Amino acid sequence: MVQRLRAIVRSTPGRLTAALIALLLLGIAYGITAFTGSNEANAHVLSVQDSSGPLTVSAQSLYRALSDADATAATAFLSPGAETAASRQRYETDIAAAGTALAQVTAGASDASAISAQRLDVLATELPVYTGLVETARTNNRLGYPVGAAYLREASGLMRATLLPAAQDVYSTQTQRLRSDHNAGARYPYVAVLLGVVALAALVFAQRYLTRRTRRLVNPGLAAATLALLAALIYQNVAWFDLHSHLDSAQADGSSQVQALAAARIDALQARADEALTLVARGSGGAFEQDFQKTMADLVGADGESGRLGRAAATPTDPAVRTAIRAASSDVAAWRKVHTALRADDDGGNYPAAVTAATGSASDAFTHLDDDLAAGIRASDAIFTEQAAAAGRTIHIVGIVVVILTLLTLAGAAIGVQRRIAEYR
Amino acid sequence: MTTRRGRALRWMTAAAVATLLGAGTAACSSPAANARPRNARVSAHVPEPQGVQDPAKLPSPPAAGPGAPTCNPYASSRRPTGALPAPGQMPAGSTMARIQARGTLRVGVDQNTYKFGYRDPASGQIVGFDIDIAHTIAKAIFGDPNKIQFVSITAAQRIPDVANHTVDLVADTMTVTCDRLRQVAFSTIYYDAGQNVLVRKDSGLTGLADLGGKKVCAAAGSTSIANIAALASKPVPVAVNDWTDCLVMLQQGQVSAISTDDTILRGLAAQDPNTKLLLTTNFTKEPYGLAMDLHAADLVEFVNGVLAQLRSDGGWAAIYTRWLNSPAPAPPIAQYAN
Repeated sequence: MVQRLRAIVRSTPGRLTAALIALLLLGIAYGITAFTGSNEANAHVLSVQDSSGPLTVSAQSLYRALSDADATAATAFLSPGAETAASRQRYETDIAAAGTALAQVTAGASDASAISAQRLDVLATELPVYTGLVETARTNNRLGYPVGAAYLREASGLMRATLLPAAQDVYSTQTQRLRSDHNAGARYPYVAVLLGVVALAALVFAQRYLTRRTRRLVNPGLAAATLALLAALIYQNVAWFDLHSHLDSAQADGSSQVQALAAARIDALQARADEALTLVARGSGGAFEQDFQKTMADLVGADGESGRLGRAAATPTDPAVRTAIRAASSDVAAWRKVHTALRADDDGGNYPAAVTAATGSASDAFTHLDDDLAAGIRASDAIFTEQAAAAGRTIHIVGIVVVILTLLTLAGAAIGVQRRIAEYR
Repeated sequence: MTTRRGRALRWMTAAAVATLLGAGTAACSSPAANARPRNARVSAHVPEPQGVQDPAKLPSPPAAGPGAPTCNPYASSRRPTGALPAPGQMPAGSTMARIQARGTLRVGVDQNTYKFGYRDPASGQIVGFDIDIAHTIAKAIFGDPNKIQFVSITAAQRIPDVANHTVDLVADTMTVTCDRLRQVAFSTIYYDAGQNVLVRKDSGLTGLADLGGKKVCAAAGSTSIANIAALASKPVPVAVNDWTDCLVMLQQGQVSAISTDDTILRGLAAQDPNTKLLLTTNFTKEPYGLAMDLHAADLVEFVNGVLAQLRSDGGWAAIYTRWLNSPAPAPPIAQYAN
C-alpha cells in the first residue's frame, strides 16, 4: 500500500493529483473560513442594527422617562392647588414610556447577564410601587392633607435610591453589549485572509511547476482560478474597510454622540428635580441646591463651556447635531441665569417669587434645553441607523460573493489540473 | 478520460463544492431564540420613608439622678421690661433692630404638622397655629405680618439652627425642657400639650401596657422619642424625619402606633379617619415655647411682650379657634424666671 502510494506520487500524474487535492483543500478551507467569518460579522452587524443598538436607545429612554417622572412629580407638587392637566399628562406619558421601554429591554435581554436580569426584576416590581405612592400622594394632596407630601418624598426616595440606579445598570449593560457587537462586527478576518494568501501562493507554485513540465506558458484553468481567488481576497479587504468605516461612523457620530447627549439630558433632568425639591424642602433643601450646582458643573463645567456638553460639542461632524448642541449650551446659560435670580429671591425671603420663577421662566429654560438635547439625540440616532444599515448592506453580500469566487477558484483548479492529468492517459 | 482516477477526482470536486455550500446554508440559519423563563422569586418590598431609623438611635438621654438639671419649664423665661417698641422702630443695637434691617424675620417651622405648621396644598402657603404666632411677631417688628422667611426644618435641626443663627426663632410645637434650656432660650409657654398615642381604630390596643415590643413611631430628635423609650412596657421606638412620615408608616403597616403630643396626633388623625387616640388623658406634659438664641435676651423679652399682648387682647383665642375648631380655653398663664 505504502509502496503503491509512493509509486503514484513519484509519477507525474500522481504528483499532479496530489497537487490538485492540496489546492482544492486550501480553496475549501479559505472559502469556509471566509464565509463563516463574514456570516458571524453579519450577525453582529445585524445585532448592532436591530438589537443592541435599538435596545441601548430603549434603555436610555427608560432612564430618561423615570427621571422625568420624578422631576415632573416634584414640580407639580410645588405649584399650589391641584396639578395642571399638562403636568399630569407629562407624568403619565413618562410612566407609559418607561413601561414600554422596560418591556422592550426585557424582551431583548434573552442573553443578558444574570445581573441585568436581576436589575430588570427590580424595575418591573418597583415601578408599580412607585406609581402607587405617587397616586396616594396625589389623592392626599387634593384633600389638602400634608401627608401627601410625605408620600411624594417616599416615592422620590424610592425612585432615586432604587429605580434609577437599576435603570442605570441596565443602560450600561446595553451599552457594553453594543460596544462588543461593534468590535466583533469590525474584527479583521485574519485567518481567512491568511488561508487565502497561502492558497494563492500554492496556485502560483502549481502553475510554475506545470509551465516547467509542459513548456506551455499559461494553464487557462489555473489562471482563472488564480484571478478568482485574487478577486475574492481583494473584495474581502475592500468590503472590510467599507464595513469598518461605516461601523466607526455609526459609533463615533451615532451611538457615542447619543450616549453623550443622553447623559447631558439626564443631568438636566436631575438639576430640574433638584431645583424643584430645593423649593419643596423650603429652607432645608441645601443638599438639593448643592446637587444642582454639582450637576450643572458636570453638564457644562465651571466655565459654562466644558463639561459633558462641551465634550459633546467637540466631536460631531453632522451640522444638525452641532446646531442642537450649540442651542443647548445657550439654553443652559439662560437657565443658570434664571436659577441664580430664583435662588436670590428664595434666600432673600421672597418665596412666592422663587416659586413663580421655578414654575415659569426656569421651567421654560429647562424645556428648551430638553428639546434641543432631544433634537441632537434624534439627529445622532439617525446617523447611527443610517451607518449601521450601510454596514449591514456591505457585510450582507460578502459571504455569498466569496463563496461564488471560491467555487470559481475550485472549478478552475480542477479543470486546469485534470486536463494535464488526462494528457498522461 | 473516464478513468477510475478521473471519476474519483470529479467526485471529490463535487463533494468539496457540496461541503462548501452546506457550510454556507448551515451558517445562514439562525438559532432559535432562547426563551427559557427565568426563575421568578417574588417578594413584595414595602417602601419606607427616607431616613427611617428602625430601631431608632436615641438622642443622648438627659442626665438623670443627682446633678441632673432641675428647673421649672413653665417659669423659665425672662420678664418683658417696659412697653413694646412701636412696629418698625426697634431700639438701636438690639437683636430686633438687626432683624428689621435685614427685612425679614427668619422662622424655623415644620411644614408637615397638620393644624400647627403645614403647607396648605391648595395655596402652597405654610399655615397653622404656630405660623400665626410667628406672623404676630413679624407684625410687631415690621408692622407687616408677612415679612417672614419660613425655613422648614426637621425636629432634630431645631436647636442647631437656632444656635448657628440660621433662624431667629423656632415656632414648631417645641417642648420646653430643662435639657434644652441649657442650649436655647425659650419664650413663655404659648400652648400646653401632652404626649398621647395614635393607633388604628381596629388595633385592639387599650393602653400603654399593650405597646410592649410594638413598633412606635416618632420624629428623630423630639422629646417624644425619648418618652417612648422610657415607657415601662418597652415599645420599640422608630424614628423618622417628619411627623407625616409616621402616618405613612402607620398606613403602610410598618409601625403599630405613633406617639407624640396630642396636638400633632389630632392633626394626623384628621388626615386618616381610621385612627384614634389611645388615651383619654395625656401621659406627659409638653409645654410649648418659641426657641431663640440663648444670648438674645432682648429678643426673648420682646417676644414675651408680644405673647402677653396676644393673651390679653383675644388674639390667642382667635388663633386657637381658627385652627383647633373648638372654643378656646384660657391661654397658658405667663410665668417668668425673674
